[in-house]
Order: sequence, then C-alpha cells, then structure tokens
Amino acid sequence: MPGTPLPKMTLPKMTSRRRKSLALVAAAAAVPLVLTGCTDNTKTPGSSASAGPIQVTSNKTECKVSIGSVPSGNLSFAVKNEGTEITEFYLLAEDGLRIVGEVENIGPGLTRNLVVTAPAGKYTTACKPGMQGDGIRAALEVTDSGNKTGVDADFQKLVDTGVQQYTAYVRDQTEQLVTGTKAFADAYAAGDATKARELYAATRMHWERIEPVAESFGDLDPKLDAREADLEPGQEWTGWHRAEKDLFPPAGYTALTATERAKIATQLVSDTEELGKRTRTVVLPADKLGNGAKELLDEVARGKVTGEEEIWSHTDLWDFQANVDGARIAFENLKPALAQKDPALATSLDEKFAALQAELKKYAKGDGFAYYNELGPAEVQQLAALVDALGEPLSKLTSAVVL
Amino acid sequence: MTANFLIGLREGLEATLVVVLLMAYLVKTGRRSLLPRLWAGVGIAVAVSIAFGALLTFGPQGLTFAAQEAIGGGLSIVAVALVTWMVFWMARTARSLGGELKSQVDKLADGAAWGLVVVAALAVGREGLETALFLWAAAQAAGESSQPLLGALLGLAVAAGLGYLLHRGVLKVNLSRFFTWTGVGLIVIAGGVLAYGIHDLQEAGILPGLHNLAFDVSAAIPPSSWYGTLLKGTLNLSPATTWLEAGAWLLYVIPVLYFYIRANRSAPAKSSGNAVAGNAATSKAA
Ligand SMILES: [Cu+2]
Repeated sequence: MPGTPLPKMTLPKMTSRRRKSLALVAAAAAVPLVLTGCTDNTKTPGSSASAGPIQVTSNKTECKVSIGSVPSGNLSFAVKNEGTEITEFYLLAEDGLRIVGEVENIGPGLTRNLVVTAPAGKYTTACKPGMQGDGIRAALEVTDSGNKTGVDADFQKLVDTGVQQYTAYVRDQTEQLVTGTKAFADAYAAGDATKARELYAATRMHWERIEPVAESFGDLDPKLDAREADLEPGQEWTGWHRAEKDLFPPAGYTALTATERAKIATQLVSDTEELGKRTRTVVLPADKLGNGAKELLDEVARGKVTGEEEIWSHTDLWDFQANVDGARIAFENLKPALAQKDPALATSLDEKFAALQAELKKYAKGDGFAYYNELGPAEVQQLAALVDALGEPLSKLTSAVVL
Repeated sequence: MTANFLIGLREGLEATLVVVLLMAYLVKTGRRSLLPRLWAGVGIAVAVSIAFGALLTFGPQGLTFAAQEAIGGGLSIVAVALVTWMVFWMARTARSLGGELKSQVDKLADGAAWGLVVVAALAVGREGLETALFLWAAAQAAGESSQPLLGALLGLAVAAGLGYLLHRGVLKVNLSRFFTWTGVGLIVIAGGVLAYGIHDLQEAGILPGLHNLAFDVSAAIPPSSWYGTLLKGTLNLSPATTWLEAGAWLLYVIPVLYFYIRANRSAPAKSSGNAVAGNAATSKAA
C-alpha cells in the first residue's frame, strides 16, 4: 500500500494494572499445569524396577518395541531414532485415536524419553518417521499390576461411594418421613390427640435427620417447619409446629376446630409428599455432605440445646439426636475418603461424636428422651460444650474431602 | 545431521520471528533504548526453558504429556493475545510519531515496554520447553556422536541468521510500508501460532476434533522437507490441519486483518509529518 498514511488505531492505553493482569494470565496458565501435571520419572533400573524403560527403536520401516506386555503404572519409553528422518512416537489408546502420550522432534541418532501413567488395558504404539501418516503401529498390552495408578482416582471412588450411600440414606429417611407423617396427620385430623402426641417427636426425627436437604427447598421448609416466633408478617402458619402448639397447648390457648385441624393435616401431608418427590432426584455432591453435617450441628447449637425448637412439646432432645444422627451418617459416609486425606481429623471426629452421643444417652427414656424442661442448666451446658467441641473439627470436614 | 538441523531451524524460526519484527519496529521508531527490555524477555524465556528442560530430563519428576501440551498450547494462545495487542499498539504509537506528541509517545512506549518483555518472553518461551528437551536429548547423545547436537545448534544459528537478515531487510523498507507489512506479518504469524496452540490442546485431549482434518497436504509438503520446515517455522503451517485449527486461523486472521487494514485506510493523510518522522527514525536506525 504505497503512500498509505500510517495506521490509525485507538486502543485504550495499557495501564499498569492491565499489564500486571496479562502477566498474571500467563503465569496462571502455566503454574497450575506445572503443579498438577507431574509424573515420576522412572529412572534406570534400580532396586525395584525389574525392567528399565521400554526400548523403542524407530527407523524408516520399523518401530520396534522391546516388549509386548507391561504391568500398569508408570511406563517409561526410551525412543531411539535409528533412521535418517525426524521421527515421532505415540502411545495411543485402544481406539488408535486418543493420544495417551507422545514425543515429537526425535532427530536421527537421538533418544528421547516418554513417561506416562497407564492403567491396565490395550494400547497402540506408533512411530512416525517423517512425521506424517498413521505411522508404524503395534499393539501393546498393559496388564493390571495391582498397584493403584494414582491415589487420586482411588480417592475419588471413595468419595463417590460415600455420596451414593448418603443419597440413599436421605431417600430412605424421606420415605419414612412420608409414611410417618401420614399416620400422624390421620390421628391429628381425627382428633386422637394422645396418639398424635405420641407420634409427634418420633416422626419429626426423620425430618430432622435430613434437615439441610429439606431446607434446600426454600419454599417447602417454612411451610413445614416454621416456628410461631419466626413467622413473617402475613405468613400463614402451617406445618409441624402449628400442630405442636395445638397438641401441647399453653395456658389460655384456644384449640383449633376440627376443620382447621383437618386443613393443617392435609397440607402437612401434601407438602411432605412434595418433599419426597423432589428428594428423589436431588443431587448431593461431597461438599453438600460435609457442609450439611456442619449445618446439622449448628442447628443443634442454635435451636435444640436452647429448647427453642419445641417450645410447647419440649421434645428437643429427639430433634437433637436426629440432627446428630444425620451429621454422623454424612461423616461416616465420607470417612473412608477422609481417612486417606486426613486420618487425624477422622479419628478426632470419631471421638467427638462418641462423646456427644454418650452424654445424650444419659437422657434416654424408653424409646425417647427426657423433656427439655427436665434438664438443669449444668446439664444443658455440658451438652452445649460437647456440641461445640464437635463443631470445630466438623467444620474442617468439607475442605479436607473436597479440596 | 540434516534432520536435526531442520528441527533446530524450525524451532528457531518459530521463536525468532515475532521478536525480529518487534525489534525492527523499535529500531524504526527510534526507540533503540527499549531493545534491552526485549532482549531481557528473550533471555528470561531461554533461561527458564533450559532450566526446565534440564529439570524434566534429569530431575526426579517429569511433566505428563498432557501437561506439556497444555502448557505449550496455553502459552501459544496467551502469546497470540499479546501479539495482537502489540500490533494495534504499534499502529497507534507509530501514527502519533509525526506530531508534536513525540514525548507523550515515548512515555507511552515506556509504559508498554513491560508488555514488550512479556511478549518477547512468550514468543520464545512457548517454543522453549520443547526445544530445550530436544537439545538436552541431543546433548546426552553427544557422547556417541556430536553430530545431532551440532546439527541442532547449527539449525538454531541459521534461524538466528535468517532473523538477522530479515531484520536488516525490513529496516530498508519505507516506513509506512514497513508498518503495514510488519502488522500484517505479525497477524498472520499470530494466526499460525493460534492454530498451533489449538493443535497442542487437541493433542492433550483438552479440545476435541484431533482427527477431523480440514486438509492434508503432507504428501505435497512433507513436514520433514526443507520447505515444509520453513513453512512450519515461519507461518506455523501444519500440512495436516484439523477443522478446528483452520477455523480458529480464519476466525482470527480475517477479522483482525480487516480491522487493521481498515484502520490504515481510514487514517487521515498527514504525509508531511509522517515523512519527517520517517526520516528521523531511519537515520537513527542506520
Ligand atoms: Cu515447535
């Protein structure tokens, strides 16, 4: 373009912050890869390695691999170019397409190494003299050495299993909750107060065990579990605590009519069934388990240990036990994975759960517990201290397992 | 020997070209004082690459293949972003050269100089790791025969020599042409680097489509031939190109080139001022 004036382009002047961020981008692109992308260099045959690196020789017409079958783990290839052209070596997956590892730029007379971590399976090796075409291929079998390749894969499996178990637990508790709620609602609607009172605390335990999951449905939780003290202005009061007040009436309370009771009961059942339906498809990643366990314990500290939750029935210790159950199951489902990452934390949690459970057991009465208003201040304090002691290590569970 | 020479040449050219064009630009615009920063970037990249290569060759741990490719690919893409920014930055500062804004431009250039260091470091660094691994392998073989190492170093030297000739050549080009062509050249090279980076990421399995080829001319342009080597070294042309690579190349080069040329065309004619600046710059370069 002769005579073209000099280019005009207005770009914003680069500030020092932008320069810094560019450098950061560059660093950020490389650093995590360097940190996570490491593999052990298998060195020349030493004490344990029965065979050294797999010898590969490449020339114009051949791609000789010294061995046709190797045990899984870290495979090391020493690829020697005995031809006159530049060659490349590929380790391909069984489909012959996916690259498991490669070395390029192997000049004549050079030996270059490739180290890959390979699980058992069928593989294809290929040399590409002249760097074109499909290369000279051969099959390579990797047998199961019994050594786990990569602790991480194994760890992930433990986490996944734990999550599956906990999801099943949640589903089971929800089903029991639905069944129990129907029985409770029937008795309550029919005016059988004695039976309803009997069922009240035991049925609610299924709810309290899975409370964080139930609470994740923001619309259902207030309908089912709102306490009178927490009602928003204009909010219609339904759910368990509405029935509680009616079943364990304070002085001067006007009982609900049969129609009102029936309405509460029907609503309770339909909301619980909706909860059951949604829980069936709920997805619970590992962090939900860990955080859920901690939430359950916070629930204990906030409502149960203070006797606020069941202000009329005083059945707080049932809820207390149920919250602890839910937290303990989540922890135990994650324990195999945790034991691998942080065994000390696993032991500590075991001890703290046991101590709290032992203390709680002191108040067991028949199938249930003592009423909250039967406890003295010193006893409440002792329980609160154990809850706090458990809460501290429990708050570390999520990061230990998920990070 | 020839084959190792060609590897050295190819890798050398890949790393050199961007640096040479930036260098010529600085000289042309009378900013020789900023050259040391460019060299600092190059030096950092070379040192880091060689150290890394040694570590990976002799250290207790090596990088997995996927990580190597991901680093190469990732750095390539970052390099493209920076080169693109550089091209437009150059266009902008070069234009204001003519006016009384000279001091302001110098200030701006000074500010952007750290960007220059990064660009130079990336241009060299993205090829550095692979080249260093190759060189260490050649050095290890030196016991049996020094030919591979010699060939490789010779290739690198020739690449540097070609770079120098190119540098001298572009210095002779008339200033306004120079800016247009360096810009276009850098954009085309950057397009190649982008495609190459995409290919690396495909090989690492991070991006799909490694086996869906848009074209395969490796029979006509064998990658191991000298002309295949030159095309690869200069334009990053891969004889067997995947659709994703080709698409990325087109999607990058066409719009960027369009905006760049449009910016050139629509610039108001300020010939007298430019001529003065051009003379000033040329005399400094001489
Ligand atoms: Cu390269």
